[in-house]
Amino acid sequence: MNKTFDRYASIIFLVIGIFFVVESRKIGASSYGSNVGPDIFPIGLGVLLILLSIKLFIETIKMKSETGKGAKPDYKRFLIIFAAAVLYVALLEPLGYVITTFLFLVIGFQVLEKGGWVKTILIAFAFSFGIYYVFVNVLQGSLPGFPI
Amino acid sequence: MEAVQFLMNGFGVAMQWHNLLFAFFGVLIGTAVGVLPGIGPMSGVALLIPITATLTSGLDPQSAAASSIILLAGVYYGAMYGGSTTSILLNTPGESSSVVTALDGYQMARQGRAGAALSISAIGSFVAGIVSLLGLTLLARPLSELALSFGPAEYFSLMLLGLCAVSGLAGGSITKALIMTVAGLLLATIGMDSISGVSRFTYDNAYLYSGLEFLTVAVGLFALGEVFRTILDRDKEDGSIAKVGRILPTRQDMKESTAPIVRGSLLGFFIGVLPGAGATLASFFSYIAEKKLSKQPEKFGRGAIAGVAAPESANNGASGGAMIPLLTMGIPGSGTTAILMGALIMYNVQPGPLLFEDNPEVAWGLIASMFIGNVMLLALNMPLVKVFAKVIETPAKYLLPIIIAISIFGVYAVQFNTFDLALLLICGLLGYFLSKNDYPVAPLVLALVLGPMIENNMRRALTASNGDFSIFITSPVSLIFLVIGALWISIPLLMKMRGRSVIINEEG
Repeated sequence: MNKTFDRYASIIFLVIGIFFVVESRKIGASSYGSNVGPDIFPIGLGVLLILLSIKLFIETIKMKSETGKGAKPDYKRFLIIFAAAVLYVALLEPLGYVITTFLFLVIGFQVLEKGGWVKTILIAFAFSFGIYYVFVNVLQGSLPGFPI
Repeated sequence: MEAVQFLMNGFGVAMQWHNLLFAFFGVLIGTAVGVLPGIGPMSGVALLIPITATLTSGLDPQSAAASSIILLAGVYYGAMYGGSTTSILLNTPGESSSVVTALDGYQMARQGRAGAALSISAIGSFVAGIVSLLGLTLLARPLSELALSFGPAEYFSLMLLGLCAVSGLAGGSITKALIMTVAGLLLATIGMDSISGVSRFTYDNAYLYSGLEFLTVAVGLFALGEVFRTILDRDKEDGSIAKVGRILPTRQDMKESTAPIVRGSLLGFFIGVLPGAGATLASFFSYIAEKKLSKQPEKFGRGAIAGVAAPESANNGASGGAMIPLLTMGIPGSGTTAILMGALIMYNVQPGPLLFEDNPEVAWGLIASMFIGNVMLLALNMPLVKVFAKVIETPAKYLLPIIIAISIFGVYAVQFNTFDLALLLICGLLGYFLSKNDYPVAPLVLALVLGPMIENNMRRALTASNGDFSIFITSPVSLIFLVIGALWISIPLLMKMRGRSVIINEEG
């Protein structure tokens, strides 16, 4: 458990709770025939979330701070893969499914473990073409094809 | 017997060749999911929803729903079989409900009895699967008829009870679990309000009008979150895989494990029926019970076959039992059943008491297919256990990027927009950070599924009572549900204050 994370989290949840309460009050009271409108549920939950996050904040004060244990997370590897995934998502429609998937998989395989290029390319190729072919031609689904 | 007649009709559905195929692939993928340490039953089921949605797109809605739920449920109970394989051979459980199996299973493997341990857990799982299905068959009608008598107030309280139960057992800190539940309920309010037609928190974003898509959130939080964790935390893969050896258990093994299997099945079934208490708790309890009952408790932890047979029966029994509240009342008791429920809702099939009247094809087809699936699993696991042992060796290098690619493909194939893909990646990040810091994500997904129903029932009840909140306490049934829900939250809290350790349900 991480004390700093919990403290920030409690503040973020508090803000979310306040946000929902404030925004719910703007919802038009257009519920005819009933005095139970569409705003009552989110307002109640927002208040509950505010109370719970205050409770969490108090708990973090009492908590003894623990120093991080174990190996440091491997941020570099993760950031490269995550960035590749973001690019994959952003370019999926303009560049088409096969090209983006192939590139993403090649990057992913190589970042996790360098080497084995032949296997990497074969698996990435088989996956991207295989999924595209089966989905579009056999199952009649629709995926962004190739850039024209 | 009425139930037998319905069950026979169910077999009529389940025996159609494509449904046999669906059940087969379900249990096959499920076993692989259970074996692979990277993905648990929750992410496995979530990942497969979009794929089944495409596979069944040619069928009419009723049979499409039946076929996909047959496959998805197969993944769920198949994972219970597969989870034991890594526990026994590698001492690393493939999923949390097999943690206790590793205690004695790995010891047996070191003594060269891995084959016996594996086959006894397959036999135990099979017996438990059949026991829990018989229970499901017998209880389905009476329970759904009981649930039909509930009004909106009772339903509201019952769902609240379900949420309390899952939050109370979900993690180390109840505050955090409750925060996740409330956050899930709040996220569920985004979109068009189904009663008044007013849009809430949408800010003119066209994608938000239909609400946050449950599938996207579930795949992101579970599957991607898990992949990100494996990449970041560099799961070490040391330890050699034990040899499987002779597969069939000896007569002595069978004698020693018969009673534990029967007890484990029954215990698992009843724990599974309770909301919140899933397969993980069931396996823990049955292990403890066997140790207490045993004439030689000192053998436990040193390769006692009863220590493998009982928890493996219990976790499969629990996964069958967990289908009861889902199918008869529409209350999922765990993360995985919440995802199954979300899948049914995607097909416009509302789980709950009306399911057996409106969609008998889906309900009884599923139950019958589970009988068939369990037989398939027994047949698959006994001779093919050596093949599944090989699956463990799948290099993470290829597995992890492919899981990301499948998640993205799956969400895109169903949603057709990049907004959901962005949401998917965000949920993946959130899933990693939240579960790393002990914020359980299962209650959030459960709340997201139940949210609209809780709200509708609450508002219908309040409209009927002219806004008087006392309706929830004046109805005796509703009051009982609320009291049990409150107890479920407060008892673990009290036990913790007294310094007792509380077993938590990590499967969710």
